[in-house]
Amino acid sequence: MTTTSLTLEEMTKVEGHAVLTLKITDGKVEDVHLRGIEGSRYFEGLLVHRAYNEASWLSARICGICSCGHTVAAIEAMENALGVQSTQQTKDLRVLLTLGERIRSHAAHLYFLALPDYLGAPNAVAIAADKPDAVKMAVAIMKLGNDMVRRIGGRDMHPESATVGGWLHFPSQEAIGSLRARLEELRPGAVATVELFSSLPYPELKHPSENFSLHNEKEYVCLEGSIKGADHEFAQKDFGKFVQEYHEPDQTANFVVREGHAFMVGALPRVANNFEQLSPDSKKMAKAGQLMQNLDNPFYNNLAQAVELLDAFDQSIAMLGRLKVKQEPLVDITFKECWGIAAIEVPRGTLWHEYELDATGHIKRANIVTPTAQNLRSMEEAIKLYLPQLLGKSREELVDGLETLVRSYDPCLSCAAHFLRVEGL
Amino acid sequence: MSEKLKVGILDITGCNGCVLSVAFNEDEVLDIFNLVDVLEYRFVSDPAEEKPELDIVLMEGMVASPRDLEFLKEVRARTKVLVALGTCAHTGNIPAYRKWTPKENLARLQFEKTEDIADVEVTPIDAHVQVDATIPGCPPNRREVLEVIKNLVIGKGYRLYTMPVCVECRKNNNMCLLEVNKPCLGSITTGGCFAICVNAGLECWGCRGQTADANLDAFMKMLEGKGFKRDFILERMRTFVGLKIPALETAAG
Repeated sequence: MTTTSLTLEEMTKVEGHAVLTLKITDGKVEDVHLRGIEGSRYFEGLLVHRAYNEASWLSARICGICSCGHTVAAIEAMENALGVQSTQQTKDLRVLLTLGERIRSHAAHLYFLALPDYLGAPNAVAIAADKPDAVKMAVAIMKLGNDMVRRIGGRDMHPESATVGGWLHFPSQEAIGSLRARLEELRPGAVATVELFSSLPYPELKHPSENFSLHNEKEYVCLEGSIKGADHEFAQKDFGKFVQEYHEPDQTANFVVREGHAFMVGALPRVANNFEQLSPDSKKMAKAGQLMQNLDNPFYNNLAQAVELLDAFDQSIAMLGRLKVKQEPLVDITFKECWGIAAIEVPRGTLWHEYELDATGHIKRANIVTPTAQNLRSMEEAIKLYLPQLLGKSREELVDGLETLVRSYDPCLSCAAHFLRVEGL
Repeated sequence: MSEKLKVGILDITGCNGCVLSVAFNEDEVLDIFNLVDVLEYRFVSDPAEEKPELDIVLMEGMVASPRDLEFLKEVRARTKVLVALGTCAHTGNIPAYRKWTPKENLARLQFEKTEDIADVEVTPIDAHVQVDATIPGCPPNRREVLEVIKNLVIGKGYRLYTMPVCVECRKNNNMCLLEVNKPCLGSITTGGCFAICVNAGLECWGCRGQTADANLDAFMKMLEGKGFKRDFILERMRTFVGLKIPALETAAG
């Protein structure tokens, strides 16, 4: 009997670090285990006793990559708890903040983390030597996404302007016009990105896991909607009835399952559940790229991100064209004992914030569920299904194959998956 | 031309925002990679077969587990200039507020863990290793990160800004938030951030740490005079940089 164990050391970034271990005996995959090993920071505990409006600024610090997501999710959950009705302009600015983050995050992931895998290049800097225009364009798109966040949120990371009941500071109409003009100017780059990611040789893999995302009829999802799975939809407030969290002693990431089984969140599930709401061109390009025939192949999450990138351009251009910014005071708030939850779609999937407040507007309990926690179990299952295809191959090909699969989910841990150490092969 | 400096942009427990803010210098990011050899950076570089000796390391994050400490020491041993990048590395940031948090607030979240990831008291990196320079801020000012890299490359020291946030804030023509009863910490906090939070409408929370000559007693009295409770003021002052204010170490909340 030959047992091979393999450790993907220092994987992660669920905003942190993770390790993947595999055990293979006589050519059979016995065990796949993904460990989140980030030190515990206890944000949910540190939010207790804080005022209702402090949660967005503090919880943004959970993740530098999805800080807008945490900001908006915290605010929306608080407003749901307190019964605050925000204005249309407030909602629009939150959507734009979310789209700006989607644009920069997808561009960064696609070109800097995913593309080197498919082109056989060590990294994006090496690709830049060969294809300087493509990488410069990717950086320009990232900068545009960053500038959307800077202009609308006040800063490129941990944005300060958004708060419960409205905005502390408004972007100028000139900034809105300039962002729109730059989106139109760079839109061909988004189209080229979908073309590029439609042409890549994605490995074949069938992983029929449940696609989970927000869904609403009127727009491609950001902040609003019910939760849609394979066979039914439920309201955001019923999250706890359908989904369980649990821990394992050797890791600090929590796992999330629905009725005991894994599910997937992210770009691919969003497209699967919201294809009809995509912009006309992104819909056309998704079809041309065979995306809808490959919804059960996690590698196609990369193509789904490219399609979402184009859709985010189109959605933002339309929204910025309509927006006439006016100064609005914050909505008045009446405190009461209350509970609220909100889910929003951040680059890596559905992010949940849930709060209980006391009668003075201070937090009694906070609960935050991140997309990568929801995808951990699905990733383990996908690795198990993909491994047989890799077992006969060289050590290098096996390592590359696993890294490519892990990265296709765009966990924050994808980047660290470079640190793969193989024992016994 | 002499050999390029070998650089690592590394992190322990944190949000990855600081290491990302290096790349948020979009117009210069590719130039940085030409100017220095970035040998370790989780968003770009493959790991070397053997851990390289490094001239400069920008280190994000706090020590929150035995694993963090082990990695930090290992990196220190092969690094000439270790730079603490951002508030987590500088002060332990928000998670270090655990020190003043009632245990029952955390109990629900705690569970049994293996040794390598067990909880340890959250500390900044200078509690464990020698730190040669600090770029404060949550997140750090990305332009300042760029300046530090450029200055290290030409062998020149970089002098951090030492004036309070108010100096830049006034230059920006912001309305003083203390005047409208917001608990702004700008007057006791080191600037260099261009008062970015106040520009965006939010009072300063003090993430860059206190100025050398901050008069805490007078400041607290002033906020108490505006109706803020002492325990709230202490909480605010400790949120980002509590471990770096020895005067408040034992102050009654």
